Amino acid sequence: MAGKTVSRRQFLKHAGATAALLGLSEVMIPQIAQALEELASGKPPVIWIQGQNCTGCSISLLNSNYPMVAELVLNDLSIRYHPNVMAAAGYTATDVLDESIKDLKGKYVLVVEGPVPTKEDGEFCTFGLQKGKTKDLMGNKVPADKTIHEWMKELVPPAAAVIAGGNCASFGGIPLANAGVTGATPVSKIVAEIDSEKPVVNIGGCPAHPDWITGTVLEALLFLKGKGKLNLNSHKMSRTFFGQLIHENCERRASFDAGLFLEDWNQDDPDMKLCMFKMGCKGPVTYADCPVRRWNSKVNWCVGASAPCHGCASPDFYKTLSPLYEPLPNVNFPGITPAVDTLGWVAAGATAVGVGAHYLYKQLGHKGEETGEGGEK
Amino acid sequence: MAIVSIDPVTRIEGHLRIDVEVENGVVKDAWSSGTMFRGIEMLLKGKHPWDCQQVTERICGVCPLIHGTASSYALDDAMDVELPDNARIIRNLCLGGNYIQSHILHFYHLQALDYIDVTAVLNYSGVNPGLLALRSKIAGLAKANDLYFFLPRYESADYVGTPGGPGDANLATELVGHYVQALEMRKKAQEMISIFYGRMPSFVGTIPGGVTTKPTLMNIAAFQSRLTELRQWIDSIYVQDVLTVAEVPDYEPFFKAGDSGGNYLAYGGFDLDQKGTEKFLPRGTIFDNNVMDVKGMEEKEITESVQYSWYTPECEGLNPKYGKTDPDLEKKDAYSFLKAPRYQGKPMEVGPMARMLVKKPDLLVKLAQDKGLLTPPVKFGILPRTAARAIECKLVADAMADWLTQLDPSKPIWDPKGKEIPNESYGRGLVEGPRGALGHWIHINNEKTDNYQAVVPTTWNASPRDKEGNRGPVETSLIGLPVPDVDNPVNVVRCVRSFDPCLACAIHIIHPEHNGVKEFRVV
Repeated sequence: MAGKTVSRRQFLKHAGATAALLGLSEVMIPQIAQALEELASGKPPVIWIQGQNCTGCSISLLNSNYPMVAELVLNDLSIRYHPNVMAAAGYTATDVLDESIKDLKGKYVLVVEGPVPTKEDGEFCTFGLQKGKTKDLMGNKVPADKTIHEWMKELVPPAAAVIAGGNCASFGGIPLANAGVTGATPVSKIVAEIDSEKPVVNIGGCPAHPDWITGTVLEALLFLKGKGKLNLNSHKMSRTFFGQLIHENCERRASFDAGLFLEDWNQDDPDMKLCMFKMGCKGPVTYADCPVRRWNSKVNWCVGASAPCHGCASPDFYKTLSPLYEPLPNVNFPGITPAVDTLGWVAAGATAVGVGAHYLYKQLGHKGEETGEGGEK
Repeated sequence: MAIVSIDPVTRIEGHLRIDVEVENGVVKDAWSSGTMFRGIEMLLKGKHPWDCQQVTERICGVCPLIHGTASSYALDDAMDVELPDNARIIRNLCLGGNYIQSHILHFYHLQALDYIDVTAVLNYSGVNPGLLALRSKIAGLAKANDLYFFLPRYESADYVGTPGGPGDANLATELVGHYVQALEMRKKAQEMISIFYGRMPSFVGTIPGGVTTKPTLMNIAAFQSRLTELRQWIDSIYVQDVLTVAEVPDYEPFFKAGDSGGNYLAYGGFDLDQKGTEKFLPRGTIFDNNVMDVKGMEEKEITESVQYSWYTPECEGLNPKYGKTDPDLEKKDAYSFLKAPRYQGKPMEVGPMARMLVKKPDLLVKLAQDKGLLTPPVKFGILPRTAARAIECKLVADAMADWLTQLDPSKPIWDPKGKEIPNESYGRGLVEGPRGALGHWIHINNEKTDNYQAVVPTTWNASPRDKEGNRGPVETSLIGLPVPDVDNPVNVVRCVRSFDPCLACAIHIIHPEHNGVKEFRVV
């Protein structure tokens, strides 16, 4: 919001939207309004850079529904640098980064989309030019490339906080699945090497849901203003969005409990809402609020399209969750497997499946580490 | 003589560097370099073939739909399925939806800031309440020194709305208003896709053998209401805005300037029958700007040169199906992670310009006649490339309305043969994405993915020089462009952006030392 031209009333209205976004109760609105008011009197700048990304999370952010994209750009965030939308290019663009490093110490939030490659001196991902260093281009001396790893070394220390935007920035995702090639490294690890005290928040999702991005950035901003606390799970993901199992809130949960599974897409009656478990659904091991938040202005979500959840919000995506269309491993615990084999299993309920999820996590190669469930600290 | 280096080239997808040699205010030589590498195909080796569609659509977040679609066709081919009509139509509808979102995004959010002075909004003198609100919003941001989305930029006297420049502040404000509307419109196109495909980007609705969502009266209606709104907006706003920009006298030279050399290639896209013999966007090639002489397209004529790419000489001159990808970051004279695909040894432009020149719809023919593009020297430069995209957007959106009526809720959506993985098989999917010709190839062995290859549009367009020294289409297009001020090379980025480059797509190749696969064979 522009300067101090916005009324208290507008802040309250906006705070209502923010509370809805974060899934908070209306009781919170006055506090949020106050925090937003303080933010607006000096909107903290956001710098968004891209590593080994696919731009999917940026495109997803452009699908933001509430706040609408235009509001996001014009009202909510002061985005100083974003390679896909900013007017500037070349030095004109990277000068903004250099100025921010110099003039905005401790003031900006750094969002990184995509992991950071470390092999071959980081040459697998470069942007911008090295001032004063040259390379040869077919006999011509031209400025040398600058790696994202070098940018991180310069941009992380002055940042107030770093946000890893999306599964591959947070956990390596698809590029990490062959990290042997480029040394794709999660953002949190790179940040820890540069400044172990710097706060880092991870956002899951391949891509991240626009609400997860704006909500996490807002939570981080409120936290930095001393107006809220960061409620993170052991993977540094906000519990606001990644606190509950998809399976617990799935609209097709009743079919799972009743043993009604989709086995042929032609058999699928849209009114039946058959369970996708046998087609490889990873909902029982993935913590995210997709079933209630839904995607693309709430139009649909993966299971709503009669497709299995691929677990893209899970730190295990993609490698550990493959094969994506095969049922989860056949392990003996109360819950999932008996339900598939002996149709009609109902009794165990949500708790047992929760236990099962933790058990499965260990089966999938985690040693003792679990994603936190909602409420637990 | 001065070398002007531009990195990052922003408002595109991915990591692109452009170097141009400028002499007497004109570009004499140009280099296009892709500067990011992940290695996507390698991780598919040994994986279940069904994973390929989900992994390869993550090659790119701007074009996931076309990769997922190409992969589905490649897998269909490998499993030898008979694709039900409903599945073919839903795939066309969702792909069409992505053309709409991608083309709108490109014109307004990636390209328009090269032509419009956003600060002109401050001088808006009209009475439109929406635009007045926009004026006060921009004024507030300017006062708070928070216009980082729009400033700084390359300065130029020929932005629409710049004092002394073409157009006036009211026209510029109207266009900026459409920029804001377009944010919502492209979002609506994404919503439309998610009706059948679950979500965007990274959708889940295609599978080998078909699609996952049955057409129903409800979802057809939901799709149709959004499509109707989008078609009205495309006709009345998008196409008109492109024509408005094209009529700015200062931009007259851009009709012929920025021509890529006159060779065009289209695989063809949007199958209109089960075998794909008839396509809404036809297949063909054009050479040396002989646009009236459309020739055929033979896959075997495609080779990839790596003379100036960071790969060893053993990778030189092979058909992509037999291709080798062996990186060498120390290679002398190499300057890009992109290979240089060539057709009969020639660089080829792919994308909407190529497709529209092969199809020749009335709208394009009329524009070409009005602007004298067919009088020698025949050239299609920066603005025709942009116009072709808008014309294509309209044609596809209009056709989608017909396709939607062909869905039959009582008919199947999936051939269960898609679930039967053969012990060994080869598959191929050739499609047209918003940015151009795309091919996926899969080799299945022991019921697992043995090798996977994708050859993508931006690799054609933004490729470096080949063994013969032929520049890639983007490089060629830059030569001769006026750069009066080397600190503000606005014409260079105008030209590069007219190709709608997508670098994440272009560089996804594999590292053979680690995956051990150096060859790809297709029977």
